This record gives sequence, C-alpha cells and structure tokens, in this order.
Amino acid sequence: MFSPLPIKHISLQVLTDDLPSASLILAELSCFSPDPRPYAEQALPEVPGHSFRHLYNQARTRLEKIVSQVDFELTSDNHEAGPINEEELERVNEWLGTAWETCSGFEEASRIHLEERRNIDQLESSLANFRNLNIDLGQLQGSAGFLETHIGMVPRSQVNQLSDALGLDGYLLFPFMESESDTHVVIVGAGDRETSKLKPVLDTAGFRALDIPPELQAEPEAAKTQLDQRRDAVEVESQKLAEAIHAWGKVSRQELEQAAHTVHLATPYVALGEAARHRGDLSRLQGWVPNEDIALVERSLHEKLSNPFVIETRDPTPDERPLVPSVMRHNRLLSPFSALVTQYGVPRYGEVNPTHLFALTYILMFGMMFGDVGHGAVILGATLLLRRKLGTFTAFGIAAGLSSILFGFLYGSIFGYEHVLHALWIAPLTNPLYMLTVALLWGIGFITIVTLLNIINHLLQGDRLGALFADNGLLSLLLYLGLLGTGYSFYSTGSISGFWATLTILTLIGIFAHKLIEQEASIGERILVAFIETFEAITGYVSNTLSFLRVAAFSLNHVALAIAVFTLANMMGDTGHWITVVLGNVFILVLEGLIVAIQVLRLEFYEGFSRFYSGDGKAFKPLTL
Amino acid sequence: MSSLRDQAYLKTRVGIFAGRLLTPESVERYKSMSLNQLAEAFDLLPIIEETLEPRQKSRLIEQALLHRMMSELSVLLRPLSGRTRGLMLYWPRKFELYNLKTLIRGKLNDLGMEEIRDNLHDLPENIRLPHESLLQAENVLEMLRQLDQGPYAMIARQARHVYEEQNESFSLDAAIDRLYYTGMLRHINMANSIDKRGLHKVIGIMIDRQNILWLLRYRLVYRFSPSEAYYLLISAGGRIQRDTLMELANLEGLQAIIGHLPAPLRQILGEANNITQVRQRLDHHVSDELQKLMRHSQDAVVSALSYMIARDMDLMRLYAIIQGKLLQMDPALIDQAIPDNALTDSSGVNV
Repeated sequence: MFSPLPIKHISLQVLTDDLPSASLILAELSCFSPDPRPYAEQALPEVPGHSFRHLYNQARTRLEKIVSQVDFELTSDNHEAGPINEEELERVNEWLGTAWETCSGFEEASRIHLEERRNIDQLESSLANFRNLNIDLGQLQGSAGFLETHIGMVPRSQVNQLSDALGLDGYLLFPFMESESDTHVVIVGAGDRETSKLKPVLDTAGFRALDIPPELQAEPEAAKTQLDQRRDAVEVESQKLAEAIHAWGKVSRQELEQAAHTVHLATPYVALGEAARHRGDLSRLQGWVPNEDIALVERSLHEKLSNPFVIETRDPTPDERPLVPSVMRHNRLLSPFSALVTQYGVPRYGEVNPTHLFALTYILMFGMMFGDVGHGAVILGATLLLRRKLGTFTAFGIAAGLSSILFGFLYGSIFGYEHVLHALWIAPLTNPLYMLTVALLWGIGFITIVTLLNIINHLLQGDRLGALFADNGLLSLLLYLGLLGTGYSFYSTGSISGFWATLTILTLIGIFAHKLIEQEASIGERILVAFIETFEAITGYVSNTLSFLRVAAFSLNHVALAIAVFTLANMMGDTGHWITVVLGNVFILVLEGLIVAIQVLRLEFYEGFSRFYSGDGKAFKPLTL
Repeated sequence: MSSLRDQAYLKTRVGIFAGRLLTPESVERYKSMSLNQLAEAFDLLPIIEETLEPRQKSRLIEQALLHRMMSELSVLLRPLSGRTRGLMLYWPRKFELYNLKTLIRGKLNDLGMEEIRDNLHDLPENIRLPHESLLQAENVLEMLRQLDQGPYAMIARQARHVYEEQNESFSLDAAIDRLYYTGMLRHINMANSIDKRGLHKVIGIMIDRQNILWLLRYRLVYRFSPSEAYYLLISAGGRIQRDTLMELANLEGLQAIIGHLPAPLRQILGEANNITQVRQRLDHHVSDELQKLMRHSQDAVVSALSYMIARDMDLMRLYAIIQGKLLQMDPALIDQAIPDNALTDSSGVNV
C-alpha cells in the first residue's frame, strides 16, 4: 500500500508457434510488462515476428488513415478473441491496402474539390476587381496583335523573383490583388501567346492562369452566373463524393470491423518487441509480473496453451532494482492524487509511494488555506455537476470541497461572512500569531515525516550509510531537531539548552566530516565544498520550514480579501452591494482557489517530495488489449 | 548571446575545433592511406567487413561523418539560447531538406519505402522531419496531400506541378534550396548578434557559390532561357546581388559569365575552362573566406557558423576520399572529386 507492489521477473519458454497465443493471454490479464533487455543472444539469436511487425505497422497505419476518412467506430464485442497468425494479418493488410486505395481516391477528389472552390473564389475576387477598371478586358484574353498578356496567380513569395525573371525576356508583371497565399498578376509583353517563350518559366513558377469569360464586359451578370454554376457543380460533386464515401463505409463496415479487430488482437505480439527471442521452434519471453498475479498468470497459461511450456519466476536482483517497473494500484478515490504524484515522477521500485501522504496532506492544507463553508460547497457542487467531464478527478474536487467546508466550520466563515457561523476552532484574523504558529508546527511535522520517509527509502534500498549520512538522512534530521530545540529553548527561556546545542554541534560535525570524506578533490576544495553544503543543509531546513507560513498566510488572506469585498460592497447601494458581494466571491473563489491549489502543490513537491522522493522509477506498462 | 562568458566559451570551442579542419597535408595524407587505415582513423571498422553491402558501407560512412558534425554542433550550441540558438539550429536543417528532396524524388520515381528510408540522413530529433508518415504514404498524391498540411505546402505545390507535368525536378530542388536560404536569412535578421554583417557575409558566400554553379549548369548544360535560369536562382546573394545576377543570367558562354562576375570572383575563376574547375576554385575560395570570418569576426556566433560550414565541406571531402577507396576508384578520379581547397595554413588559428 505504501510502496509499489512486490514484483517478480518471469521467463516463459514456449513453442514459437505459441508466442502469439501467449502474448494474447498475457495481454488479457494486463499484468505482464515486457522486459526488453538483451538476453541469451547466443542461444536464442533471433527476435521473432520481424515480418509480422512490418505487416502490423502497415496495416495499422492503413486502418488509421481509413478511419479518418470514414465515419467508423470499432465495436469488437461480437468478435472472437484468438491469436492472429501472419497469414491472417497479411490477408487483412492486403484488404486494407485495397480499401485505402479507394479512400485515397476519395481524399484526392476531396482535395480537388477544395482546390476548385478556392479557384472559383479567387476568380470571383479577380473579376470583381476588374469590373471596377475602365479597360477592355477582351484585350487581356490572349494575343492582341503584337501584345501578349497573361492573367493569373502566382505564390506571393515568388512574385518579385518572377517579375525580375520575366523582365529578362522583356515582359512586365503587374500585381493587382493579393489573397492569402497568392498574388493576382497581369503579365504583358511583346510577343504571341501561341508561341510564347514564357511557358517554361511560368510553369516553373507555379503560375495559374485565370480564365476570364469574354462576356464580362458586355454581361457582367453572365460571368457571375457562370461562376455560380461552376460552384454549384462543385457542390454537387462534393455531395456525390460524400454519399460515395458513406456508401463505401456502409458496405465495407463489416470487413473494416474485422480488420480493426485483427489489428487489435495482433498488438500484444508486436508489443513484445525484443522481450521475446527464439531459435527455431523454441521461444522465450521475459518480463515483470506483480507477485499477487503470478498464480493467475500460471493458471491462465495452463488453461489456454495446449502445448507444454516452462515458466520460471525470481525476485529482482539488487542490480536490477532501478530497472524494475513500479506497479501502483489505488482505488478510484486516490487515482487523481496518484496522477498528480506521477506528474512529479514514478516511484522507484521499493521506494515509498507517497500517494497516501500526498492525498491526506494536500487536502488538509487546501482546507486550511481556503477554509470557507460557502466556497467549499460551491467547489463540491461544481465538481458534482461536472463529474462526467472531470472523470477520475471528481474525487479530487469533492475532497477539496469537503475539506474547505470542514475548515469553513472550524473558522466560522461562509462566503467571507465571519459572523454568521460560530467558529468551532478559531477565526483566523482574531489571532494571526496563533495561526502562524500552527502553520509552523505543521511544517515542522511535515518536514520531519518526509525526512523519516527518506531514511526509510535508503534502508529499503539497503543503503545504510545513505540513511545515516546522505542529505535528509538521520544526521540531517537530528540536526534539524537540534536547531529547532536550540531555537525553542532560547525563545522560551532566554538561554540555550545544553542538550540541544550539543546535538546540533555534533550532528553538524558529523555532516561536515561525511561531506569532507565523500569528496574527491584537493583538501582545500573539499573543505570549501563541505562547508558550503553543510551551510546549505541548514539554510534549506530553515527556509523550507518558513515556507509553511504560507499555509496560515493564505487563511488570513482569504479573510482579508473578503473584508475588501465587503468594504467595496458597503460603498454601494442595495443592488450594487449584492452584485459586488457575488462578483467578489466569484473572484475569491476562482483566483484565490487556483492560487491556493498551486501553492499547496508547490509545498508538496518542493518542500516535501524533493526531500525523499526520487521519482525516477519506471512505470509499469503491461501488455493490454 | 551577449555575455562575455558565453562569447569566450564559444570562441575557445571554435578555436579548439578549428584544429580539426583539413590542411593540404592532411588531405594528401588521407588520400595516401589505405581503406583499412581510414576505417581505423575514423572509427569506421564495419566498412572493412565483408558482410556489408557497398551501399550499406557508404551509408555507414555518411552517417558516421554526419554524427561527428552533429556532436560538434551540440557542443557549440551549449552557450546559445533564444534566436541565436535558433539560427545555429537552422543551419543543419539543410540535411532535413536533403531528406525532403530524397523523399519526394523517391515517391515521384515510385521507389519502395525501405529503399527511400535507406537514403535518408539520420538526424537529431529537434531538426528531424516527420519522415515516418510521409514514408508510409502509399503513393505520390497521398504524400503531397500530407505535405500540403504542413510548413512545406509551397514545396508540395511545386512537387505536384513536377508530378502532373512530368517535368524535371529542377524547380522543386530550386524551391527547396530557396526555402532553406530565405529561412537562413530570416534567422540571421532575427538573431541577436554583434556582427550581423558577418553573418550576412557567411550566408552570402554560400548563396553566391550556389548561384554561380547552378547558373552555369542551367544556362550551359540544360540550355534554360535567361528568365527560367534566373527564376531558379536565389536573388539575395553576397557579392552577386539581384541586378548582377540578372545580368549574368542574360549572358551566353562560360567566359562571358565569368568575365562579368564581380571582383574577386572574376579573378578567382578567371582561368577556369569548365564547370568542374569553377567548382574547385569556388570551393577553395569559400573555404578561404569562411576561415577568415571564423578567425576575425568579433562575434563568436559568426565564427561558429563559419566553422560548421567549413567543417561540413571538409567532411564531404573526407567522404569522397573514403568512398573512392571503398569503390576502388582511380586516384586521379578521387583527385578530381576532392579539390585541393584546404587552406595552405590553418595553424595558429586565432578565433
């Protein structure tokens, strides 16, 4: 519960033909994480399924592309779950290839329609532009005697280069309109359009000629009608295309579903990767399985594999520990907190899993910093309303809301009103010093616990020296307690207690000596580094403890903000008063709520996790279906 | 990059790396070495194994040299941040664009996925094109549709034109080159440099080289019209500016073009009789100019960029030597492929 589940390394020897079945069985159980480290390369030189993997990748890519074209959702409930062999996958891949060819045709047709629409838009804009010019557009249609003209579009970025290039052939280029990516141009020069020498350069420049209807001058409306007809024709074509895609999707639905199912079932075998090796008929695969699932794995393999197999299990060796994946199974209530913990990092195998501590302290601190019955109720209500969208984070919202309500009762605060409810504990602003003391004690407790966890982590990893001397080890904890005791004795009695002072000095000497020994440098450098690091350890503990004052500061801030809102509200009339109170509460709820949520996370990660949690573990990624 | 510390770091690094640039002596030494000795010197022992095919060996050499260059670049990138880092990271994008050319050409010529993949440079992730989805495209039109959706929409348009008109891919190559150089100029304009003129000079030298060589090829070998040849060039060069380039495009014949080049290019290329000689002399000149910039610029970024370009040219030469030995080519042919363009003296480099 407080650390990742114990795990075993398993090695499964099966007949090569049974590998797909074995991978499928393991995927169904969702408790086997492949171990891709190289092993037995001499005895088992090959990684099986090379061509299978190639087929799978191609089939999956094709399937994804097809699904993006056709309205299709996988419903594999009615299909049988059996292992997929290479021939079957090849057949499916071939069908998907043919299907994609059809869909690719649809996609290309769709692109052409889009292009045609853009062209019509461009032409329409161009014609609208010409309509305002007092020139004979008939002259621009082609060769008029000795004058050669072209009207069209070129990419905007190419206009200057093309203009210069055409200048070399004695042609002039006039831009007359710009659209998103193209410039509309008129090109004029001495020559004959039929035998034009411009074609190669215009082609190279991606020049697209605009075909201007001859009736533009005489009957501008006719031109518009013609364009409208072209647009209608494209729309009709697009509609036909959409129907064709829909019809194809309908006809091919069953085969598509079957193909998707086949690809789906082929995934576990491919996901084995280099965790499986073979020579001839004999294969072996290796991976990690949680101890509690070993029996289930053995039973399932016995039930479903017809051919004999050998399964061997062992505990991870000390050398392997950094490579062992961490399995963390939490109930639904803890899953949002677990998600936040993994944002910091995955616990190393054997390391204390901080999820429970994180959940408890986060919720408590949130409530302490944002204690208000009304605001808590709003958070609770909003979370319940949005529970579908929030998914697993619903529990987080509910816990935060309830904590806020609880501390709201303790502080006697509802929507910022401090005199409606009787405070069960204390109204923060009545005794700020007391609140700050509580926050400081909370911080001391928190830091002591996380330092103890760090010591436990070192012991769990078999690192006794680390537990004693490392940063945040036993010696550091004693130094911290010594500093606190010294400070407290001075504060309460005006003199320094001999016991605490001796503890502080001895632990300081111990830490300094250890840092001096562990360095590999000249003696001068060692002394300097040891001095700085010891000093840093002291300042770290002091500053981290003081950091917790923010827990009280925010509870005071919450009341102060409410007072500010009420002061403003009291300056208004009746309506204005209530509007200000409502808006002020929304402001406090959103802005302060967000800041508190972030500040608590900061305290957890920076003051807490950085002291004991490496977070550099490997996530358990089981084969799944 | 503005801090003196970062400038000092970069200059020191470039100073150390500059010792790796080829000298005429080192080129001669490599030319005289056997394939085994070269393989040992450049950590390329697999190329002397019999099990690999010649093509795989070539690829291995190419990848090893590219990897060597990228490692040096990653060291030079360390003190850089923001736009200056962006500029230095844009430079190797040319390899990504080589890959893009390979991909498009491969698909246009109906090559298989694996065959195309074999010819792609293996680049660091931060400058790598999302090859896989382009490679998975099952025909040209599908690949062009994918390109249409990304930053290479303009290239897709050019490629579509080449595909539909069954044209040669000059316009496509030129569009890709122009895209690269205009991108480089844009990054230079944005970069926070104390010697922006130096940066412009570096890129100007490269554009001039590209323009001269391709102008000669378009006009003299492929017989393109002046307008078409000019259109395919890059009009923002160093010594060869727009007007000069237009004038050059309008000329006929090698000597006429060389005769109208601005000094000192006219003098440098004066006695060249063919495009190969022009290339050799140009490469010599470019190396020379880059090393001058590397030594004398106030800005360490100019030095670093000059070094990387000079190093790239050197590694191309090394590739030609090793490849020549691998294919057991005649030494004279190798000589022709490797111009003696290293500086006469790269000792005492003061960068």
